[in-house]
Amino acid sequence: MNAPRLGCIMTPMLLVLSLTALAQTIDRAEALWKAQDFTGANEAFKGLVAANPKNAAYRMRWGDLFKARFNPGEALTLYSEALEIDPKNARAHLAVARILVDQFNPKAAEAADKALDLDPKLYEAHEIKARIALEDDDHKKAAEEADAALAIEPYAVNAIAIHAALDLLADRESVWLPKLSDRGEGYETLAHFMVINRRYEDALKFYRRAIAVQKDLWSAHSQLGVSLMRLGREEEARKELEIAYDAHYRDAQTVNTLRLMDTYKDFVTFRTPTTILRLHKKEADALKPYFEGEMLRAMSIFEKKYKFRMQVPIQVEVYPNHEDFAVRAMGMPGLGALGVTFNTVLTMDSPSGRTPGEFHWASTLWHEISHVYMLTLTNERTPRWFTEGVAVHEETATEPDWGDRVTPDILAAIRDKKLLPVAQIDRGFVHPQFPSQVIVSYYQAGKICDYISARWGESKLLDMAHEFAKNRPTVDVIREQLGMEPEAFDKDFLAEIDKQTGKIVARFEEWTKGLSEVNKLNKEGKTDEVIAKGRALEAIFPDYVEIGNPYLLVAGACTRKDDSTCAMEEYGKYSKLSGRDPGSIKAYATLLDKAGKKKEAAAALERLNFIYPMDTALHEHLGSLYLETSNPPAAVREFQVALALHPIDMAGGHYNLARALKAAGQNDKAREEAINALEAAPDFRPAQKLLLELSGAGV
Amino acid sequence: MKRLLPCLALLGSPLFASTYVVTVAGLGGEPDYEQRFSMLATDTDKMMRAGTAGDRIVETLKGADATKAHVEAALNKIAGQAKAADVFILMLIGHGTFDTEYKFNLPGPDISAGELNALLNKIPAGRQLVVDMTSASGAITEVLKKENRTIITATKSGSEKNATVFARFWVEALRDNAADTDKNGQVTALEAYKYATAKTTTYYSEAKHLATEHSQIDGESRAGAFTLVRYGAADVVVTDPAKKALLVHKEEVENKIDALKYQKDLLAPEEYRRQLTGLLLDLSKTQAEIEK
Repeated sequence: MNAPRLGCIMTPMLLVLSLTALAQTIDRAEALWKAQDFTGANEAFKGLVAANPKNAAYRMRWGDLFKARFNPGEALTLYSEALEIDPKNARAHLAVARILVDQFNPKAAEAADKALDLDPKLYEAHEIKARIALEDDDHKKAAEEADAALAIEPYAVNAIAIHAALDLLADRESVWLPKLSDRGEGYETLAHFMVINRRYEDALKFYRRAIAVQKDLWSAHSQLGVSLMRLGREEEARKELEIAYDAHYRDAQTVNTLRLMDTYKDFVTFRTPTTILRLHKKEADALKPYFEGEMLRAMSIFEKKYKFRMQVPIQVEVYPNHEDFAVRAMGMPGLGALGVTFNTVLTMDSPSGRTPGEFHWASTLWHEISHVYMLTLTNERTPRWFTEGVAVHEETATEPDWGDRVTPDILAAIRDKKLLPVAQIDRGFVHPQFPSQVIVSYYQAGKICDYISARWGESKLLDMAHEFAKNRPTVDVIREQLGMEPEAFDKDFLAEIDKQTGKIVARFEEWTKGLSEVNKLNKEGKTDEVIAKGRALEAIFPDYVEIGNPYLLVAGACTRKDDSTCAMEEYGKYSKLSGRDPGSIKAYATLLDKAGKKKEAAAALERLNFIYPMDTALHEHLGSLYLETSNPPAAVREFQVALALHPIDMAGGHYNLARALKAAGQNDKAREEAINALEAAPDFRPAQKLLLELSGAGV
Repeated sequence: MKRLLPCLALLGSPLFASTYVVTVAGLGGEPDYEQRFSMLATDTDKMMRAGTAGDRIVETLKGADATKAHVEAALNKIAGQAKAADVFILMLIGHGTFDTEYKFNLPGPDISAGELNALLNKIPAGRQLVVDMTSASGAITEVLKKENRTIITATKSGSEKNATVFARFWVEALRDNAADTDKNGQVTALEAYKYATAKTTTYYSEAKHLATEHSQIDGESRAGAFTLVRYGAADVVVTDPAKKALLVHKEEVENKIDALKYQKDLLAPEEYRRQLTGLLLDLSKTQAEIEK
C-alpha cells in the first residue's frame, strides 16, 4: 500500500539522478570510442542499454560501434532491436540497409525504401539504391538514384562516385571524377565498382588515389592489399595490409589475409614459360603432373579457339583447405565457389579440399582459365553472364563427360519460369532472389553459350567477345551479332530449353516419386525391380547422376546378380554423363579390367584423375593398366604419383615404379627404384629379381 | 634386428607352439551394425584359418552366440589348454561403452574390462595380443596392461564413444598384400595396426569429418612378433636343411642392412647408397641361390 506513495516521492529524484548518469555515460562511451578504447566503449554502451532498455538511440549508437569495429552481425542485431523499440526510426532502417548492401543481400533495397518513406531527405538511402542498381548493371536506375541523392545533398560523395563509376564503366571521360576532389571514400566506392566489374587494375588505381588523398583511410589500405594479393602481387599486398593492421584496422579480411600469407611458406611454385603453378607442399608432387598438364592443354586449345596468345603466364593457386581458398579469393571464409579468377591469376580448391567426387577439378580449372582468356580478350569489359556462360560452355566443349549436369533445383526454376531475360541475367549472379539462383544463372549462361555455339557456330562467341571488348551492352551485341532483338533471342532460347528439358519438367513429380521408390526397393534388395524401375527413371531424367541416382542403383543390382555386362553398361552411362563417384568409377574400371578391356579400364580411371587423384589405389591400378597396354610413360607418371601420396606399401610403390621405368627404357632410374623398394623391404623377392636383372646379374 | 625375424623367428619358435585366436562380434543394436559386425567377424575367421599349418585354434563368436557366458567359456577353455610357449590373440568387434568402467556390449549382459582381464590372466600363453576395435575401447588398456600383452584399441580413451571404423580396416589389412610392408609374406599385428590406422585417418580426412577415433597401441615393440596372416613361400624355405649355410649368410646380410640403415644419417648419402646397393645385391643373389 505504501509503495506507490513512496514511488511518487522518489520518482522525481530518481529521474534527475538517472538523467545525470545517462548524460555522463553516453559522453563516456563516446569519449572512450574516440580514444580508441573500444572495449571500454563497448562496456559503457552495454551499461547504458541495460539501464535504458527502451532507448533506441543508444542501441543505434552501440550498433555503430560494432559496425565500425568489424562486427556487422552484432550491429545488425542492435539496429533491429532499435527498430523493435522505434519502428519509425528512419536512421535505423538506413543503418540496416548499409549492413545488408555490404552483404549483397537483396533486402537492402527494401530497408532503404523504408528509410526514405519515413524520411525522404535521407539521401544516403538513395545512394544505397544507386549502388544496388549499379551492381545489378541497371545504369539508368543507378543514375536516377544518384541524382535523387544529389538533389538533397549536392556533395553526396557516394552519389558522385556512382556517377563517376557509370562514366568509367562506359569508358567515358567523367566530369564527376574531379568532383570527388580529396574525398577518399568516393575513390573507394569507385574502386568497389571496378572490382565487381572485374576491372581489377582500375580498382588498384582508385584505391591508391583514395590513399593518396586520405592517408589514414585504413579501409582503402586494406582493400588495396586484398586486391593486390588477388592479382598475385604479394609483397606490396602485405605492405598495405600491415599498414591497416598496425593502425588497428583489423577487419576479418585484413586479418585473414595476413594469416593466409603467413602460410605461403608451405607452398611450392612450379613455372613453365607460360604457366605458374602454386601447390601446397604436402600434395605438390601428386598434383603437379595433372594440373600443369591440364593448364597447358587448356591454353593450347583456347589459343587456337580464341585466336590469341597470352602475353603473361597464367598463375594457378590450389588450396587444400577450402577456407584458405575462400580467404585468398574474398578475404573471408564461407565462399561457396570452387574457383575464382582475377585477371591472369586464378585460385581454386584442391581436389583434397572437398570430399572425393564432390567436384571435377579439371572442369573447374578449364572454367577459370576460360575466364582468363575472356577477361583478357575483352579488356575486362565482358558482362558477367558472358564470361560465366563461356566458362561453363568450355567445361564440356572439349571433354563432354566433364562439367555439371542439370539438377533438380534448376529444373524447378525452369518449371517455375524463373530464368531471367538475357539482358538481366547478371542480376541472378549478384543479387539472387531465391536460394539456387546463382547456380541457375550459371546453368542458364552456359546454356545460352551452348545455344549460340550450336545455332551460329562456335566462332560467334569470339565475335561477341570482340564486341564486348568495345564495352558494348548485351542488348546491342545480341542485336548486332545474332541479328535479332534480345526478346526474340530469349523466346528462341527458352524454346530450346523447353526442347531439352520440357519432357523432364513435365514428368518431374513422377520422377521424384519414382526415385524415392527405387531407392527403397534397393534397400529391400529387390534386384529385378530396381533394374526395371531404375532404367525407366534413367529414361525420364538421363542427366541425374547425383546422390541416389538410378545408374548406380541398377549397376549395384546387376552386380548382385553377377551380371557384369549389365553393371558395366550402367557404369558406362553414368561416367559418360559426368558421374563423379570415385568408388563407382573404380568399380567400373575393375569390371572392364576383368573383362579384358584394359584400354577402356585405363580410360575410366584416367577420368577419375580429373576428379579425385588423391587415391593411391587408383594410381597403382592405372599404372598397371598402362604397363599392360604398352604405355610405359603414363605408367611411370601414375606410379610416381602413387609414391607421392605416401602409400602404406612404400616398397611395392617403388617396385612398381621400377617396373614402369624399365619398360620405358630408363634402366638406371629403374635400378635406383628397385634399390628404394628393397631398402624398405629387403626380402621383397620380385624387387630382388628386378635388381639383379637391372644389375646384369640375372639369375 | 626386429626384422630378423621372418626366417629365424620361425626357426626359433618352439616346436609345436600353438596360436589361439578368439574373435567376438558383439551386439550391433540395429540390423545394419549386426550385419556389419557379423561380416567382419566372418572375414576375420576365414583369414585366421587360411594358410595355417594346423598350429592355430580359431574360435569365432557372433550374433546370438556372442554372449558373455560363451565368451567366458571360450576363454576358460583356452586357459585349460594353452601353454607358456603359445600365443593368444583376442579380437573384439562391436560397440563398447565407458562410464566408470569399460564394457564390451554383448547380447544379454555385457562383459567388463575387469572381467576380461581376469579371464585373460588365467590364460598361460606367454604372448598375448588383444585387439579391441569398439567405441570407447581406449579405456581397456589401463585395465588389461601387462608385460607380455600387446593391446591395440580403436580409440585413445573411453571418451571416444562414437561407432568406429577401425575394425573394417583391420580386417582389410588381413587380406590386402599392401599391409605386408616388409614383403616377407606375412602380415603382423604391427603391420595391420599401421595399415588400419592410416586407412582410418584417411577415411575421416576424405569425409571432411572430425576424427572421432584415434587408435592406440600398447606394446608396439612386441607387436611385430604376432603373425596374423601368412602367404607366400616363407615357410617352405625354412624347412629345407640343405640351405642352412645360405640362410645363415642371408641373416648376416639382413642384419648388416639393418645396421646400415641405423647409420644412414651418419654417412654421406653416396656412401650409404653404395654400401646399401652392395648388400642388397648380395642378399638378392643369396636368396636366388636358396631358391635354386
